[in-house]
Amino acid sequence: MSDVTLRDVRKSFGAVEIIKGVDLDIKSGEFVVFVGPSGCGKSTLLRMIAGLETITAGELEIGGERMNEVDPSQRGIAMVFQSYALYPHMTVRENMGFALRFAKLSKEEIRKQVDEAARILELEPLMDRKPKALSGGQRQRVAIGRAIVRHPKVFLFDEPLSNLDAELRVHMRIEIAKLHRDLGATIVYVTHDQVEAMTLADKIVVLRSGIVEQVGAPLELYDNPANLFVAGFIGSPKMNFLKGVVESGSAGRADVRLPDFGGAVVPVALKGDAPAAGTPVTLGIRPSQFADDGDAALPVTVDMMEHLGAETLIYARSAASDLVTIASPTRPNLQIGDALTAHFPSSGALLFGDDGKRIY
Amino acid sequence: MTSYGLKQRFSTVVVYVFLGVMAFLSIFPFLWMVIGATNTTSDIIKGKMSFGASLLVNVNTFLTQVDAPLVFWNSAKITIIATVLTLLISSLAGYGFEIFASRFREKLYTLMLLTLMIPFAALMIPLFMLMKQFGLINTHIAVVLPTVASAFIIFYFRQSTKAFPHELRDAARVDGLKEWQIFFLIYMPVMRSTYAAAFIIVFMTVWNSYLWPLIVLQSNDTKTITLVISSLGSAYYPDYGAVMIGTVLATIPTLFVFFAMQRQFVEGMLGSVK
Repeated sequence: MSDVTLRDVRKSFGAVEIIKGVDLDIKSGEFVVFVGPSGCGKSTLLRMIAGLETITAGELEIGGERMNEVDPSQRGIAMVFQSYALYPHMTVRENMGFALRFAKLSKEEIRKQVDEAARILELEPLMDRKPKALSGGQRQRVAIGRAIVRHPKVFLFDEPLSNLDAELRVHMRIEIAKLHRDLGATIVYVTHDQVEAMTLADKIVVLRSGIVEQVGAPLELYDNPANLFVAGFIGSPKMNFLKGVVESGSAGRADVRLPDFGGAVVPVALKGDAPAAGTPVTLGIRPSQFADDGDAALPVTVDMMEHLGAETLIYARSAASDLVTIASPTRPNLQIGDALTAHFPSSGALLFGDDGKRIY
Repeated sequence: MTSYGLKQRFSTVVVYVFLGVMAFLSIFPFLWMVIGATNTTSDIIKGKMSFGASLLVNVNTFLTQVDAPLVFWNSAKITIIATVLTLLISSLAGYGFEIFASRFREKLYTLMLLTLMIPFAALMIPLFMLMKQFGLINTHIAVVLPTVASAFIIFYFRQSTKAFPHELRDAARVDGLKEWQIFFLIYMPVMRSTYAAAFIIVFMTVWNSYLWPLIVLQSNDTKTITLVISSLGSAYYPDYGAVMIGTVLATIPTLFVFFAMQRQFVEGMLGSVK
């Protein structure tokens, strides 16, 4: 049993409330990623689970036991830090076995467990080196090894790949995914990189200003964001947000006029009733949704292009200078300043109210 | 050569001449001391600046007038105990000031720093009376006690602790270490170069200390090398050759400590201002 449950968890530093009541259920074996912009409280929340920060109010349970006041070493967790936090005066072997010494394991048992973790992470040739003699990727593997040897109920990762270069980050990302598959452990992972979140997570928790904005599977968040913040945060390049007004509507459909795009009207499919005519709304369209055969069209002018090889990003502007990003899988023969009609299927467009919440 | 090249060469020459003069001014007293140790008193007074043939005579005079093993043992005992205690207590305080936040932390710290502005002359009499009340006059404890909580060394350790990665402390807490274990098993080894630099500073200060030991150490069997050299020099007919021998011998331990820890000293000084 390694479920993690948070009930109305709050954290204040003096008069400033950082975590404003988080409710969360993390199932045993689940890979959960906390994602959000800098200062949203994701690392604080992780440190509260670890016991490195006190919980001002609310309940934290790990494996069904209340953990609010329990010492970090007794919570059944292991943590991997952004800066690796390896003890610089110890060898790799000593670093990995250090926690086990304090758990009063025999030398033989420590050696066995450290060797096993070293084998899993292919660290055997590095065991007698000190951290300064290791590369960034190797240090991170040692930090993960140090966590593995403790056989924790829950692994906590605090932006573990942020200090690595792009290539190594992709490599380590795959390693962590494999590790999760092999160990089947519960993992709580903090990152500000939404690509990491999308590729690793079973469940993503999007945080903003100490509040959970949405919880769900990566593709669920991508396809059905609950609000403008989640829609903008998940997905790269970012979703386009176009200001509009409901022109007319009925049950299951709203016709949205876009004044900045020559008054183009986009019929948006809804599950419920449409907002009243004249209601200001925001239309969300992913850059990848633009396609030649779409039923809706936006007249724009090409402002800038980025050729990424597999796709081309076209940054275009409306007559009112609103920016639209278009991701094209082809290599269109366009020049900066060219007029372009950007088509997209209206069925893929999302509608958001003036309060930023999704209109379903 | 271009005018830029000439300018560069001229500034290099100026820098080297300046450094040379400063190096000479630093080394000259040592040189004078070593040369003096080989000359007679009259040669030293005359200002003779070449090596003489009186080294063995001076050594003999020094050893006759001074119970060298005892005074060196006294100095060594006081210095080592005071240095170890100062490093331990002041580093604990510096670590505490930096790591543990409290409402009164900064006020307390400022108050402590203000004590640096009180001249020792103002503390001498109250300190002496305190030691007298505790019955510690003429004991080595009286020399050691006032040094062990050094405001400057606490300040130095607090500044250095700013460079100590806090994630190491977090990792240690997750690994199951108590606060005192984190200090002794993680902080102390990681801050080795800071300790080395502080060790040199405190060692030299205590080894060379004169005024306070002069006040509290009154019998000959408790006196340190600095007091004994001073008393040799203030005799009615001082033997400066013997004084120089004493000074040379007294300098050797500080030189040894400095050169043994030179690398860590430089690293520690750099670390404290990063």
